[in-house]
Amino acid sequence: MTALGLKPDGAQARPLLRDLASIALIALAGASGYWLFPDNLSFLTRVISVALLVLSLDLVVGYCGIASLGQAALYGAGAYAAGIACLNGVTEPFLLILIGAAAGAVTGLMMGAVMLRAHGLPQLVLSIAIVQLLHEAANKLAWLTGGSDGLSGMLPAPLFGLFEFDLWGRAAYLFGLGLLIVTFALLRLLVRSPFGMVCRGLKEDPLRVSALGISAFPVLIRMFAISGAVAGMGGALGAIATQVVGLDSVSFELSANALVMLVLGGLGQLTGALIGTVVFMSIEHVIAAINPFHWMTLVGAILVAIVLFAPRGLSGTLDELARLLRREGRP
Amino acid sequence: MISRRRFGTFLRAGALAFAGSLSFAHAAAADTIKLGIVGPFSGPFALQGKNFQAGVEAWLTQNGKSVGGHEIEIVYRDLPTANPQQARALAQELIVKDKVQYLGGVYFTPDAMAITPLLKQGNVPLVIFNAATSAIMTSSPLVVRTSFTTAQTTTPLGKAAADRGITKFVSAVTDYGPGVDAEGAFKKAVEAAGGQVVETIRMPLNTTEFSPIMQRIRDAGAQGVFAFLPSGPPTLGFVKAFSDTGLKPAGVKLFATGDLTQESDLPALGEAAAGMITGFHYAISHDSEVNRAFVAAGEKAIGGPGQLTFPAVGAYDGMYVIAKMIAATGGKQDAEKAVEAVKGLAWESPRGPVKIDPETRHITQTIYLREVAKDAKGNWINKEIQSFPGQKDPGLAK
Repeated sequence: MTALGLKPDGAQARPLLRDLASIALIALAGASGYWLFPDNLSFLTRVISVALLVLSLDLVVGYCGIASLGQAALYGAGAYAAGIACLNGVTEPFLLILIGAAAGAVTGLMMGAVMLRAHGLPQLVLSIAIVQLLHEAANKLAWLTGGSDGLSGMLPAPLFGLFEFDLWGRAAYLFGLGLLIVTFALLRLLVRSPFGMVCRGLKEDPLRVSALGISAFPVLIRMFAISGAVAGMGGALGAIATQVVGLDSVSFELSANALVMLVLGGLGQLTGALIGTVVFMSIEHVIAAINPFHWMTLVGAILVAIVLFAPRGLSGTLDELARLLRREGRP
Repeated sequence: MISRRRFGTFLRAGALAFAGSLSFAHAAAADTIKLGIVGPFSGPFALQGKNFQAGVEAWLTQNGKSVGGHEIEIVYRDLPTANPQQARALAQELIVKDKVQYLGGVYFTPDAMAITPLLKQGNVPLVIFNAATSAIMTSSPLVVRTSFTTAQTTTPLGKAAADRGITKFVSAVTDYGPGVDAEGAFKKAVEAAGGQVVETIRMPLNTTEFSPIMQRIRDAGAQGVFAFLPSGPPTLGFVKAFSDTGLKPAGVKLFATGDLTQESDLPALGEAAAGMITGFHYAISHDSEVNRAFVAAGEKAIGGPGQLTFPAVGAYDGMYVIAKMIAATGGKQDAEKAVEAVKGLAWESPRGPVKIDPETRHITQTIYLREVAKDAKGNWINKEIQSFPGQKDPGLAK
């Protein structure tokens, strides 16, 4: 493996297989979620919505090496855009997702334009400042966003004109799952493309990439826009499924949680983002249901344990285990 | 179950199978009526959630755990901060999986708004113990509320403040939904009574530095100040600054809603708050037999005195309403009939006489004017000095 993470030609066929396998696994896990937990679909839909946010964060943090604690700005932009559009008569779910993606992409462009002026810690601070500014804007513009009471009363049209977004949440879940699978597949293609390679190159050795005559800013800002679109779709999915958008969707807390989930799952692999989200949110959900009064302590302890014993994230540890097993099988 | 789990070796399936098998553990007995309570039981608002729990437990201790032979089982779910997505997920699970017949609690407005669209399909009424925006009541006919609204507590306060002969007011509120509502209600009430609000100040959320605000109040030449802040550190900072910067010694009167002087904050506020006038629906020190019994049971449930405050009474009265609903439907799940049965219901609550308004399903109650003072034992209390009976929510008045 070279410094840029490029693999020799012969190995190119295997990643493609791995991609197909992981997509199949997501579909399988998603479908088994549907059959095994028909009473938890609202929660599972929320997991998918947040998973899209964490995926989008992985694009920026894992592939470009830009730390951000403000990713919820993009998620919230998508959620509010979809919510406002829905209240103004655009009720078609697919269109709402597109609106969310567009709003997220535009916000991503702006966020990138600001954040890419700085490096390192100042960049991190800028990301926090941006999400706080948007949070305050959403709070102030109560006539548009509902302020701290939240934006409510949206009624998305049935999916394909047939399936209602109702109490049982089947339509919302399957819609979300489809969205996640398609997005994941496209992102896999993206990170394998020359564009994705350049991003990784910029992360690992910016000097060398610039010596190749590639300028960093246009590449990174494009990644910000794509990341914004993915996060925006997550927000729009949340808005459609919940029918309420609150200030929490543009909060620092959500941004920080997304980063925790990403680190937990493993950076720069996309699958890590999904595993991290599912594991984090499931642990939280189960423990909070068992003891609604003191669950936070236990969740904190579990997180510390995971990070200590799996410093490369859960997906990194899984990879290592797989490698160990393979070595044992082949003496 | 096991073989299926192996089938989905992917982590998600495994983790969630774990979730499922654990929650199957508490399956319902034949005649148990489940009641799901959603509130902030952990995190920065945990005290309010604990008060929900104390109110519920106090009611159960006094009235027993069954109504008309139907056992009541409470399922608590934690929602630490306003998070509508999580609120909807929790409510959906309570309705679909835990099969609760009633939902109660809810501290924040956005969470209530996320739950109300589920009620009709789930055939479940929601009794709100706190969330205080007027609009929640119009979002579903299956919502009943036993708390208060900011406009409800502020309107009599504005009138009483103007009646004291003060004509020049400054309002200083935290810049978020409830603060803006409070400012509007106070201004309207003061102007109706012939007073004047000469300046309206909006303070940033979470600030604890108030001397510039005090300077603005001084410059405006106000005789009275109306304040609204979320309870907690900002309140303490505001009241202390009001006293320390010389506004209080100069004779400027401070008016506020009761959120600012909730009983759990009074020991910390202490002398700085003495003489402060608040308008609210409930004081722990309210003088009645019903209240003394409630406070005794509530303090026992919450684990000692000094922590019991207003959300507990909302929860306690909420339990009263739910019990009436269970009795009226004979334990059968019929949300519409249950809500219909409590419309116009009137009873003696620890806060005084109350009634569920048949039109709005919001609670009609006495609003008290209180002064922060010491009781006979030397503890700081909200001493009731005037009462305004039969107050409805002005925000819902047509």
